[in-house]
Amino acid sequence: MSTVPAAVAPVAPNTLLARFPRALTILVTASAVLAPLALILYQSFLTAPFFDASKKVGLGAYRFVFADPDFWQAFLNSFTLAVGMTLIAVPLGALLAFVMERTDLPWKRVLEPMILVPSFVSPMVLSFGYVVAAGPVGFYSVWAQDLIGTAPWGIYSIPAMAVIAGLTHVPNVYVYATSALKSLGSDVEEAARTAGASPFRVAATVSLPLIAPALLFSAVLVFFLGFELFGLPLVLGDPEGHLVLSTYLYKLTNKLGVPSYHLMAAVAICIVAVTFPLVLLQRRLLQNARRFATIKGKAGRMKALPLGRWKPLAMALLLAWLFLAVIVPVSGIALRAFVTNWGIGVSLLDAFTLDNFRAVFEEPTHTRAIVNTILIGTIGGAIAVACYTAIGFATHRRNDGWSRFVDYLVLVPRAVPGLLAGLAFLWVFLFVPLLAPLRATLFSMWLAYTVVWLAYGMRLISTSLFQVSTELEEAARTIGASRGRISREITLPLIRHGLLGSWLLVFMIFEREYSTGVYLLAPGNEVIGAELVSLWQGGAIDVVAALSLVNIVLVAIGLAIALRFGVRLRD
Amino acid sequence: MAELTVDDLHLRYGDTPILNGVALTLERGQVVSLLGPSGSGKTTLLRAVAGLETPYQGTIRIGDQVVFDGAKSLDVPAERRNLGLVFQSYALWPHKTIFDNVAYGLKLRGHSAADIKTSVTRALEQLSLGHLGQRYPHQLSGGQQQRVALARALVYNPPVILLDEPLSNLDAKLREEARAWLRELIVRLQLSALCVTHDQAEAMAMSDRILLLNGGRIEQQGTPREMYGNPSTLFVADFMGSNNELKGDIVEARDGVATLNGDGFSVTGAARSGAAPGVPGVAMIRVERVRIADAPGPNRIAAKLVTSMYIGDRFEHLFEVGKGRLRAYGDSALEAREAFHVELPRESLWIFRAGS
Repeated sequence: MSTVPAAVAPVAPNTLLARFPRALTILVTASAVLAPLALILYQSFLTAPFFDASKKVGLGAYRFVFADPDFWQAFLNSFTLAVGMTLIAVPLGALLAFVMERTDLPWKRVLEPMILVPSFVSPMVLSFGYVVAAGPVGFYSVWAQDLIGTAPWGIYSIPAMAVIAGLTHVPNVYVYATSALKSLGSDVEEAARTAGASPFRVAATVSLPLIAPALLFSAVLVFFLGFELFGLPLVLGDPEGHLVLSTYLYKLTNKLGVPSYHLMAAVAICIVAVTFPLVLLQRRLLQNARRFATIKGKAGRMKALPLGRWKPLAMALLLAWLFLAVIVPVSGIALRAFVTNWGIGVSLLDAFTLDNFRAVFEEPTHTRAIVNTILIGTIGGAIAVACYTAIGFATHRRNDGWSRFVDYLVLVPRAVPGLLAGLAFLWVFLFVPLLAPLRATLFSMWLAYTVVWLAYGMRLISTSLFQVSTELEEAARTIGASRGRISREITLPLIRHGLLGSWLLVFMIFEREYSTGVYLLAPGNEVIGAELVSLWQGGAIDVVAALSLVNIVLVAIGLAIALRFGVRLRD
Repeated sequence: MAELTVDDLHLRYGDTPILNGVALTLERGQVVSLLGPSGSGKTTLLRAVAGLETPYQGTIRIGDQVVFDGAKSLDVPAERRNLGLVFQSYALWPHKTIFDNVAYGLKLRGHSAADIKTSVTRALEQLSLGHLGQRYPHQLSGGQQQRVALARALVYNPPVILLDEPLSNLDAKLREEARAWLRELIVRLQLSALCVTHDQAEAMAMSDRILLLNGGRIEQQGTPREMYGNPSTLFVADFMGSNNELKGDIVEARDGVATLNGDGFSVTGAARSGAAPGVPGVAMIRVERVRIADAPGPNRIAAKLVTSMYIGDRFEHLFEVGKGRLRAYGDSALEAREAFHVELPRESLWIFRAGS
């Protein structure tokens, strides 16, 4: 093309500068992830808190914990809860997924977001909702007593907790089961149907067995989440004194009267010893599930299975679950937030009050908690997404040792429950002189949140990144763009919608988070979630109810915006 | 002057060898096509030249600059090879306008805004896209997108442009137009182009030279005429056209002429590589060279008409010869009678050693 200026070799990229951001990103991520964990590990092998001059290296902490019968009881309870909730959540989630994904059930568009609600509302808030709705003097219990003379349920026993945990973890199974069902051709179901199987028979004998890998994965996931439970056993286990591993750890704080960091660290390591293999197992199973999905995928031809006369039954099942898992706890909180007190013989109208909210808004700690929660969700969420994106770019289209390292690195926080991560970060902020002044600021809270949700955030980012075709980036390379410029000028603009969606999801997750802040809570960095835990311990039911409702409203706003802009609520 | 020189290139994915010692040269103003069946390594070779795949042995030179040398571990990254690559999918950036898509290469080279505007406008006009600058890729037709991809690769005057199946995303009719247009453009602008295709007609229409790849090696290279009219191996002969094949035994091979005896026939033709007396052989002839005769004679085979098909511009006749079949073209339908004599003219018939 003689008419254009002569060819000029592209500007040589400064290789040092081109590599430096990547190395820095990986280094910062690695230290943010590994330092807290290393500190817990180190602490667990000391005989006293790490700042105590008399500390010695030894196995004393483990010896103490293993000799404590409460620890073993807590371990057993955790295991029972995990097994129980898996047995409830997996079949129910799979069945709901089948009904929603494969059949002609009406009102799916309305029902779908409602099914996901329990995964966006804080478990602390949900559990509290169950107490005020179905506890001994809960709304529904009192109504039942008025109607039939008795409330034939209890919510404070281990089996009851397993049922509640199972019901509220149905969405975790649901999302994986639906995405697996999406990739299944409907011809296999039609074949079973024409052979004479009823819709539920089709689900049980054809569709669900075909997505067995996805169900197995979600079973391990739910079992794993069972070991992480904190809010639910804290609220529901307390009245009858049932401890699980996380609440045992939490109670250790005051058990001996002095800071018993070494004992907490030992328990924390025990928890991680259970969860980490489960995380690795999940990773493996997920890869398997994806492989199976693509093999059987004859997607494209998707026809809803007519439910026929089974429609009322399917709808009844779904509504019953929605009632128990969503409506009961949420309505409980909504009602409790507007009454002075509640019990037998109290009328809702007489007890109506706005005092609970007045109490919240008149107390600077609470208003600060609300403002902080909004800040950490919006600005904190945005910065977190920026960090996740930077890490995503550090491994994007690079198949070297560093990428694999980061791959595993982001899995590590997944295995550390929020409560432990918060504790570890507290220690880091106490331990590292440079960071100490930041301990009581929102930064410490944000850092812990960002690390705890690293794996979740990275999954959102990599989903967006994988949607960018390789050729779009290669085209820029051959034209002469360096890696850095491709990231900034090609890839980043292409994934901006995905990033906005990720921001909204991270906002909701950060609004919902409660356990990570429990130990980091200090005057100045209050957030609603952690504040609720501390208020609940203090028995301030009225304020807890009002704050819980505020929390639900914040999440609901995020959810409404996400639905309005068509953000996919799951991957 | 050779704009592109590839020598002894080897490449593998894991343990699977993809390229096994490929060499080629591309002279200024030439179009060279890489032709071959899928899996032959042609796209990999193109991507290795672009710097998107890393060989483990061999050299690649662009002009007099070495961009890859396996022995010296020299591997200039793709962005510094200053080539133009047109992707099969076009890979236009959906978030940039047509103008910005084309301008990006100049922006990367630090041209001034005014310079960029002039060059891009000129490039778009040369490709009849002048009025589309402010549109986005998804607002363009497939043919227009293809031209934008070309403009984007040409605008900064790379010494060589690489085309990866540039026409395969167009529908059949448009493809024939685009192929003529592309050839004309390349000649007019004096470009040097390396083009990957799996369509032999496209390769012949567009190129000065064709390299036929098979299993990561170059099977034969030459002008389209040489490749079609003088294939050196059975594979090349088979790939380049529409053929008739008869199996038999070679009974005589001398002075470039060989005779093959089969089930009830004997034919004589040009001896190809490896044709020797006493080995199994294959006689091959392009379908359009087969004639239909009335009487027996040399290189004529008695055959039974199976069917006569009307395919629009001509008839295609199908004959049975023993266990084999022969195809021939004709102007009119043939009436089914017992014996036809199908002539395979000696100057158009090749005798290969079987499996060569």
